[in-house]
Amino acid sequence: MNRIEILSPFTGRVLPIEEVADPVFAEKMVGDGLAVEPTEGVGLAPVAGQLAVFHTAGHAFAVQVTPEVGVLVHVGLNTVQMKGQGFGRSAEKGDTVKAGQPVVKFDIPAINAAGYSPISPVILPDLPADYRIEKTTAKSVRAGQDVLMTLVRG
Amino acid sequence: MPETNVTLTNKTGLHARPAGAFVRVAKQFQADIKAHHNGKEANAKSILSVLALGAENGSSVLLKAEGADAQQALDALTELVNTKFGEPE
Repeated sequence: MNRIEILSPFTGRVLPIEEVADPVFAEKMVGDGLAVEPTEGVGLAPVAGQLAVFHTAGHAFAVQVTPEVGVLVHVGLNTVQMKGQGFGRSAEKGDTVKAGQPVVKFDIPAINAAGYSPISPVILPDLPADYRIEKTTAKSVRAGQDVLMTLVRG
Repeated sequence: MPETNVTLTNKTGLHARPAGAFVRVAKQFQADIKAHHNGKEANAKSILSVLALGAENGSSVLLKAEGADAQQALDALTELVNTKFGEPE
């Protein structure tokens, strides 16, 4: 595919990945992308594909679009420590998902109360060098409706 | 083909930060490196593939490498896992 549109999994404010207060994302250790500060506790599949990753703690999932392109969605920062508390699963690992299909529900006040940030990175790990990422310039996005990033090949 | 078993003793297993570190080390070698866990096989040079293993704290992962620097690759990855990916506990 020469052009892959990645919808926002979340409704909320868009942040540059470099401004995320966790070096694993800000320094792009797992890949480039954008982050969203969600205002609603639902995370949607940003693209159609296979739900190749869905952490048992419910806070991270990835949709594999093609054998070489996948999108990683991480709800909040360091939220693995919540061990699934405040997270609900709307799909399961291995499922084929449509773009905009609900994958996870999460409790934003519970994330804040546990002392974690709900800021949620959307990352393109392992992206082949012949793809470039066009990032939205919008300040805020609506889940499943607005394009967050577009992958362009060549 | 050299292989070795490692046990994940860091808090989060092969999750985002550790997976990123694991892949970065694996990519320093020419060898083809696979990680096996729970009946699944991952390409050790792909973050998504490694994350898809879902290998958590306390679980064991079998590493297999093939190529001229296979043993060095396994040694470096074993060291990374055994030092808990440099994570503070």
